[in-house]
Amino acid sequence: MIAHLSSEQLSECILGQPSLIVARHLQDCAACRVELVRFREALGEFRGAVRAWSEVEANQALAISESVPEPRSWAFSHQLAWALLIAAVCVMASFVMPRYPGDSTAGADAVLLNQVDAQVSRTAPSSMEPLMKLVVQE
Amino acid sequence: MHLSATSELERAIGPDVAALTGDFEALVRFYRPKVFRFALASLRDVDAAETVTQDCFLRAYQARERFRQDCSIHTWLMQIAVNLIRDHTRNRRFQFWKRASLTAQPVDVAGRTIADGARSPEAQALLQERVAAIWTAAERLPEKQRTVFLLRFVEDMDLLEIAVATGMKEGTVKTHLFRALRAVRERIGATV
Repeated sequence: MIAHLSSEQLSECILGQPSLIVARHLQDCAACRVELVRFREALGEFRGAVRAWSEVEANQALAISESVPEPRSWAFSHQLAWALLIAAVCVMASFVMPRYPGDSTAGADAVLLNQVDAQVSRTAPSSMEPLMKLVVQE
Repeated sequence: MHLSATSELERAIGPDVAALTGDFEALVRFYRPKVFRFALASLRDVDAAETVTQDCFLRAYQARERFRQDCSIHTWLMQIAVNLIRDHTRNRRFQFWKRASLTAQPVDVAGRTIADGARSPEAQALLQERVAAIWTAAERLPEKQRTVFLLRFVEDMDLLEIAVATGMKEGTVKTHLFRALRAVRERIGATV
């Protein structure tokens, strides 16, 4: 009969490999049974606590990764860059391109005004002009 | 030794490498929490654990053709994780930050997650103290003892699986576990 279980013998029990002597002692010794139950319970709670902590950390990491907006695709960025480049070129071109000289613009304007005057000064629309000629002849 | 169909996934897909070649995403979804948990318990650093977990599955994917089925997928992944964690803890930069953050990291962080309304406040406090004591003891264990302790008492792996995952002989694993348990028990006795 052994006095009480040693640390190694308790470890044997924890690992589920107690010798026959240790198993018999446990049946007879309430103190060692209590010690073994306490140790097992503490290890079990340690397992549960670590697992719970791991789940909390994993969920937090997941929540953070979901809240971070996904980066825009390469194709979208490429299109945006091209659009900005074209817009910049257009703006620069409006400053750099030569303007028409003033006299030619004035001449074109005068021709246009004469055409407008001719249209406005007509007594009848162009489609009615043949009829107007007949009326004048009578 | 044959592939032991211990997990639901392995039972569902059968004892072959279909999960490794056909549906690797399902494998990642199923085993990721386990690998992350072991890495987190070993490193006690969320970012480092995330990095190790990602590296673990990357290496597993790269080496999936070479998986010889002489152990379960879980054991194989743990083997990769053990090696990565060992490399990580030996990294000088990690050791510096570990030392720097030691005071900021509460040793009873795991103990605080316990919530059981069935226990009296005194019993709850006592239990939290014990869990915190084990947490501290595990932190102070030598690397190999800590690894086998966590694989056995957090991941519920048996001695043979731990031997495969760590590359030790079964007897060596047992010796490390005995020493780890003694240290943990002494710590509990000193605290409570």
